[in-house]
Amino acid sequence: MNTAHKHTGDGHEHKAAPMVEEITDYEVLEIAVRELAIEHGLFTAEDHRRFTEWAESVGPAAGSRLVAKAWTDPAFKARLLEDGTKACKEIGIDWAEPTGFGTPSDYTNFRVLEDTPTLHHVIVCTLCSCYPRPLLGMSPEWYRSTNYRRRLVRWPRQVLAEFGLVLPPEVEIRIEDSNQKCRFMVLPVRPEGTQNWTEEQLAAIVTRDCMIGVALPRPGRTADVHPIHKARRPVQSSPQHGRAAE
Amino acid sequence: MKKNEPQGMSAAPARFKVGDRVQVKNMPNMFYTRTQNYVRGAVGTIAALTYQDLIPEDEAFNYDGRLEQYYIVRFRQKDLWEEYPFENDTLQTESPDRWLEPVNH
Repeated sequence: MNTAHKHTGDGHEHKAAPMVEEITDYEVLEIAVRELAIEHGLFTAEDHRRFTEWAESVGPAAGSRLVAKAWTDPAFKARLLEDGTKACKEIGIDWAEPTGFGTPSDYTNFRVLEDTPTLHHVIVCTLCSCYPRPLLGMSPEWYRSTNYRRRLVRWPRQVLAEFGLVLPPEVEIRIEDSNQKCRFMVLPVRPEGTQNWTEEQLAAIVTRDCMIGVALPRPGRTADVHPIHKARRPVQSSPQHGRAAE
Repeated sequence: MKKNEPQGMSAAPARFKVGDRVQVKNMPNMFYTRTQNYVRGAVGTIAALTYQDLIPEDEAFNYDGRLEQYYIVRFRQKDLWEEYPFENDTLQTESPDRWLEPVNH
């Protein structure tokens, strides 16, 4: 609580107070365990920094390639649906890397959920944030929010509609709550108008949101963009600024 | 899948197969669980057998209990939530063997 902001009598006093960032008990616990591990020589601070930066640098590109390959190669798709972890190696993703037991808590049980014209999958982890990180990188902030987690299982159609995805009632929506050690990813239906496209062209329209199941791929949609509302009073540009930039 | 199986431990045999009807038990929460409240008591169908592993209630405390079969269980949304308005919608979640019991109908 910020007690420095006091309204006393008629005067409106603001006392200067240091800004303190909110930190949860679990973050305190993580720091304590990490510092103990470093003290005991289990790993170094440098190892920790390097691993964290590596984990944060993984994006969804591998997932997009996986979907594009499944769309163009029926034999690969069959292998992918049969054993997701094994099929990932064909595109250079080894779920056991880099620790031998996968990225922390991702395990190595990967299953691909195949959409059809009458079945649409969407993934969530109601317990926390389970996500196929070796393929999609870190999950978006909203995926970990309590609002997405509690509402998706209860009101999936309303939540999808908020993402701009409205599906007819005859399409079965199947929520996959990844609450244990399996990790899931959605294989969307290949959209119309992509005949003769290369794998590279196809991968470009398979965005992160399509593989979570909150969006559908379509030609021309190459990013998970949410509308940008322009400022009503934009920054005034002046000739000096223009010249300084040259 | 055997890749996660800790060495030298045997698993209890799987009691269910794909298509079996099961009910999620409503056991008390002792310190830690991964079985959500919203599926407790609900009846669903085994959609897949996944892997054999320790149960979370043991593993969370680094206790090497016996290995159990895990299943993906499919529920109808209508069976999970009162007055859910869409007939076809489903939800899948994973469960270790001991949280499930057979349903004979």
